[in-house]
Amino acid sequence: MKRLVLVRREQSLRGGQPLSFLIGLVVALLAGILLLVASGHNPLEIYERLFNSSVGSSNAWAKTLNRAVPLGLAGLAVAVAGSMGLWNIGAEGQILAGAMMAAWIAQIGEGWASPLLIPLMLIASILGGALLASGPGIARAQIGVNEIITTLMLNEVALRLLQWLIHGPWKDPESRGFPLAPLLADEARLPKLFGRAHWGVIIAFLVIAFFGFIVSRTAWGYELKVAGSSGATARYAGISLNKKIITVMVLSGGIAGLAGGIELSGTSDRIVEGVSGGYGFAGIIVAALALMRPSGVAAVALIFGAVQVGGLSIQTLGVSSSVSTILQALILFGAIGAGVFNRYSLKSVKREKKGGST
Amino acid sequence: MNEASMIGMLSTTISFGALLYLACIGELISEKAGVLNLGVEGMMALGAVTGFLVALNTENPWLALLVAMIVTAAFASIHGIFTVVLGAEQVVSGLSLTFLGLGLSAFFGKSAVGNPPGAILSNVDWGPLSDIPWVGPILFQQSPMVYFAFLVGLLTSFLLTRTSIGLALRGAGESASTVDTAGHSVVKIRLAAVATGGALAGASGAYLTLSITTSWQDGAAAGRGWIAVALVIFGAWKPGRAAIGALLFGGLLALKTRLQTFGVDFSPILLSMIPYLLTIGVLIIISIRARHRPSASPAEIGKVYRREER
Amino acid sequence: MTSESPLAIELVDVWKRFPGVVANAGATLSVKKGTIHAVLGENGAGKSTLMNILSGVYRPDEGQVRINGEQHWFHSPSDALASGIGMVHQEFRLVPSFTVAENIVLGASEKIIRRSLIEKEVEQIAQQFGLVIDPTRPVWQLSMGERQRVEILKTLWRKAQILILDEPTAVLTPAEADELGNVLRKIAEDGRTVVFISHKLHEVTAFCDEATVLRGGKTVASTLKVEEVNESDLAGLMVGSSPMISERPPYQEPGEAMLTIEGLGTLDDRFLPAVKNLNLTIKSGEIVGIAGVSGNGQREMAQAIAGLRPITSGKVTISGKDLTNAPPSERFTAGLGYVPEDRLGVGLAPRLTVTENAILRCYKSLRKSIFLVSEQAVNYCKEIIDRFGVRTGPIDEPIAGLSGGNLQRLLVGRELSGNPKVVLAAQPTRGLDVQGVKAIQDLLIDERAEGVAVLLISEDLDELLTLSDRLLVMHEGEIVKEFDPANAHRHEIGAAMAGKRDES
Repeated sequence: MKRLVLVRREQSLRGGQPLSFLIGLVVALLAGILLLVASGHNPLEIYERLFNSSVGSSNAWAKTLNRAVPLGLAGLAVAVAGSMGLWNIGAEGQILAGAMMAAWIAQIGEGWASPLLIPLMLIASILGGALLASGPGIARAQIGVNEIITTLMLNEVALRLLQWLIHGPWKDPESRGFPLAPLLADEARLPKLFGRAHWGVIIAFLVIAFFGFIVSRTAWGYELKVAGSSGATARYAGISLNKKIITVMVLSGGIAGLAGGIELSGTSDRIVEGVSGGYGFAGIIVAALALMRPSGVAAVALIFGAVQVGGLSIQTLGVSSSVSTILQALILFGAIGAGVFNRYSLKSVKREKKGGST
Repeated sequence: MNEASMIGMLSTTISFGALLYLACIGELISEKAGVLNLGVEGMMALGAVTGFLVALNTENPWLALLVAMIVTAAFASIHGIFTVVLGAEQVVSGLSLTFLGLGLSAFFGKSAVGNPPGAILSNVDWGPLSDIPWVGPILFQQSPMVYFAFLVGLLTSFLLTRTSIGLALRGAGESASTVDTAGHSVVKIRLAAVATGGALAGASGAYLTLSITTSWQDGAAAGRGWIAVALVIFGAWKPGRAAIGALLFGGLLALKTRLQTFGVDFSPILLSMIPYLLTIGVLIIISIRARHRPSASPAEIGKVYRREER
Repeated sequence: MTSESPLAIELVDVWKRFPGVVANAGATLSVKKGTIHAVLGENGAGKSTLMNILSGVYRPDEGQVRINGEQHWFHSPSDALASGIGMVHQEFRLVPSFTVAENIVLGASEKIIRRSLIEKEVEQIAQQFGLVIDPTRPVWQLSMGERQRVEILKTLWRKAQILILDEPTAVLTPAEADELGNVLRKIAEDGRTVVFISHKLHEVTAFCDEATVLRGGKTVASTLKVEEVNESDLAGLMVGSSPMISERPPYQEPGEAMLTIEGLGTLDDRFLPAVKNLNLTIKSGEIVGIAGVSGNGQREMAQAIAGLRPITSGKVTISGKDLTNAPPSERFTAGLGYVPEDRLGVGLAPRLTVTENAILRCYKSLRKSIFLVSEQAVNYCKEIIDRFGVRTGPIDEPIAGLSGGNLQRLLVGRELSGNPKVVLAAQPTRGLDVQGVKAIQDLLIDERAEGVAVLLISEDLDELLTLSDRLLVMHEGEIVKEFDPANAHRHEIGAAMAGKRDES
C-alpha cells in the first residue's frame, strides 16, 4: 500500500510566494464560480461586474485605492509586529481608537483650517492606536502576557468605547434621537487626489514604503528580524528584546491608528461603529499573504481592496456582498495550501505494516 | 425592579450563559489539544444559519441541530487540516475561518432573512417542577440546549481528567512529543479536537436561531464567538470555572438590556466591556503566576508538531 | 551459541544512515539477562542511535534485533514496549503539568483512569525498587532526579523487562547518581536487564557488570567484564585513534597573553556551580585545548567567557581589557570570536538569509547613519563565502537549506572575519563530515599562525592532540591536569578525564 507524505525541501522554491498567492487567487475564483453556480447565478456576469467595478474605470480605481488604504496600513501594522514574531490581532480596535482620537480633535478644532486640523487629526489617530497597543506590548515584555489575546480583547473594548461615545457624549443633538455623532466639518476632510480617491492613498503608500525601508534597510529593522527568528541568537548578538517588543507594538498600533484617522477623514461623513470595517482583521490576512514583509503588503492590499469593492457592487445583481468575504478567506486558504509546496514536496512512500514481532 | 423582571433576568442569564458555554467548551477542547481556533465567531454563524435553514426545510429542529453540528465540524476541520497537517499559522487560519464562516452564512442565509422559523427547539417540559416559584421559571422552563450545554461541560470535565483519551488530548497540548512517544497520534488527536470544537460551536449557533432569536439575520453571532474565546481564558482552561464565567458573562448580557428597567444609571454599553476587561485581568494574573509554575494555558498551544528523524 | 539461556538483547551488525552521517556502521551489542550493561562512547559514537533502534524509535537500515533469542522488527516505541523494552530518554518525556500517576498512565490501554488504583500500583512498585515518589504530585514540582524516577516507574509499571537509560546521570547530583545505582541494582536483581548509556567512567565501573564501547558507529570492544578493566583503559577505547585529518602545525613561540581568566566561577542551568575557580591564560599564536568528558563545565565556561552566562566570581580579560561584565557584542569588538556549541538557533538564526546571518556581528559597522548599506552587507557576506569556502545557494535565501558543514564554515568564517585576537571554539567540528572537519581545523591552524589565541573545547581527543599546543583536562568544573600534546599518553589523559589530579 502506498501513501503520500510531505517531505521538506532542502531549499524553499524561489519566488514561490507570489506564485502561491496567484494560485490562491485562482483557487478562490474557481471556488467562487462553484458557489455562484450552485446558488443559481451566472458567474461570468458577476465576475465581469466585479472586475469592472473595481479596476474597470478611473472611478473604480479610486474606490479600490481608497479601500486599499486601511487594508494596507492594517496589514503593515500586523507585518511590523510579525517581523519580530509578535501577533497584533488588535488592528481592528486600534483603527477605532485612531478614528476616535481624530474625531475628538475634529470636534475640538472646529473652525480650524484644514492644513492645521488634518495633520493634527492624523497625529492624534497615531497616538490613539499606539496607546491601545502599548498595553499589550508592555504586558508582553514585562510579564510575558500573550499579546494575541490581549490585543483581541481590546478590539471589543475599543468598539464598546466608540458605541458609548456615539450613544452618549458625542451624540449629535440634531440627529433626532439616533445614536449618531455630528457630521465632520469640511475642514476635517482629506482633500481628493483624483475622482473619489483621497490623499490618504499617498500617505499610506509613503508610510508603507517608509516601514518597508526601515525593516529591510536599517540596523533597527535587522535587529527586529534577528529577534523574530531566534531569541537566543539575538542575545548572542547582544540585542535586547524587551524594549524592542514595546517599541514594535507601539509602532504597530500607531500605524493601525493612522488607518483609522485616514478612514475617518477620507471616506466617512462622521464617526460610526463601522469605521473600522473589518480592515483590522483583513489586515492580518493581508500581512500573512505578504509573509509579514511590508514590501508585499501594498500589492496584496490592492487586490483585497479590489475584491471588496467588487463585492459591494455585485449586490445590485442580487448576490450577497458576502461573496467578497468568502473570496478573501479562500484566497488565503488557497495560498497557504499552495505555499506548503514551497517548503515541502509530495512523495509517495510504501505504507509500513503495523505490528510487532514476526 | 419587580419579581417578574428579576426572574426574567436570571432565566436569560442561564440561557445566554449556556449559549456561550457551549461554544466555549468547544474552543476549550480544541485549545487543550494545542490548537487555538479564532474561527469561533464564523463557526457559530455557520451553525446558526445551517440550523435555521434545515429547520425551515424539514421542520425538524433536532435534525437541524444535528446537521448544524456536522456541517460546522467539517467546517472546523478546514482549520484543523491547515494548521495541524499543513502547519499553517493558527491565528491566521482561524481568523480566515471566521471570515469564511461569516461570508458563507450571509451568502446562504440571504434568502432566509425575515422568515419565520420552520421549527424551534421548544422548552423542556419538566411537569410540576416548572411551576415551583422562582426555581421553576429559571431552571425548568429552558430550552433543551441549556441542559445539553451543561451536560457537555460535565462530560468534558470527566473526559479530560478521568479518561485516557482526555489525558492524551491534554498531553497533546502540553507536550506533543511526550504523547507521541507514548504511542498516540498527535495529528489525529488534534484533528478530532478541532472538529469537536467546531461541532459544539455549531450547536451553540443552532441554539441561537432555534431557541433564542428564532430568526436569522446577518451577524447573528454578534461577537458572542469572541466572548466564547475570552471565556476559555477567563475559566483558566477548566470546564468548571468556565461554567461560572459563562453564567457571569451571560448575566452581564442579560443585564445589559435591563439596566434601565432596574433603574440603574449606568451605560449598558460600558457594561458589555466588562467580560473583555475581566479576561485581560485574568490573563495577566495567569501570566504572573506562570513565573513560578506551569501556566494554566496549554504549553504548546499554537505550535506545529512534526516528528522528524533528524 | 552454547546451551546457555539466550541473551536478553542481541543487536547484530546494525547500520543506520542519516543524510550525510553514518550513525551506526555495523554496531553489535550482547547483553545477558539480569545484568547492568554499560554502553560507552563519546558524543557521536552512535550510542543514542543504537538505543533508539533497540527501543523502536528508529528502524535499522541493516542488521538484526533479537530479544531473548527471538528476532523483532519494531515500528514504534509502543511496539518495543509491548515486547518489554522501555527507554528512559535523556530529555525526559514527561508532561510537566500532569501528576506522576497521570504521566505513568499516559499511553496505557485503560480507557477510564482509576486514579487511586494506579497510584496504589505505582507506590507498590516504587517501594519495591526504592524509587521514593508521591504519585499525586505534579511533575513540574519534582527535581530532575525525581523526574527520572518517574520515567523509570513508567517503564516498570508497563512491565518492561529491559530498561534502557540514556545518559541517566547527566542531570543528577553525585548523591542522586549513587542512589540511581542502587535502584538499578535492585531492578537487575529482580531478573530484569538494564542498559546504561554513559560516558562517565567511574559510574560505569561502580554500577555496571559489563560494558560495550562504541566509537564512530562501530563496536570497538564488546562485553568487557567491568571488574577486569580500569577506567583509563575504557577512556582509551572511547577516544580511540581515528586517522589524523589535519597535520600538526609546526612549533612557534607563543607571544604575549591574550585571554586571561582568573578565578572564574559560573553556575549551570540548575544554579549549581559548574565552573569553580578556573584560571587560564592563552597567549598569542597558541591553541589551548580543553579535554574532558562532556558535562564537566566546558559548556558553561565557554558561555561565561562569551558573555552569555553570568559570571559569579573571577575576571575575564582580553588583551588587557577587563570584560568580566561586558555584553556579548562588546566582547566581540574587543577581539573575541565565539563559535558556540549550538550552531543553529544560537550562532545562526535559521529563518534569516545567508547575508543576514553573515553580518550578525558587524551590522552596526555597516551603517550609514541608521541605514544598513546592503551592498556592503552583500560584499561582506561574499567575502566570508569566498574566503572560507562556504557553499551556499542564493545568499538572499534562508540558511535553513545549508548543510551542517557549510553552516559551520559560515559561522566560523563570520567569527574570524572580525580579525579577532582570541577565538573561543566549542565543539567546532562535531557532527561534520571529514571534509568539513578538515576545513574547520585548518582555519584554526591558520588563525594560530596569524598570532590569534585559540581556546578549543572538543570531545575529540585526536583533534585536541593534533591541534593543541597545550592540552588541559577539565573535570567537575576545574582544570585537573595539563599535558604537552606532543608527549602525552592517551592513557594518562584518560585517567585525568576520570578525575585523577595532577600530582604537583
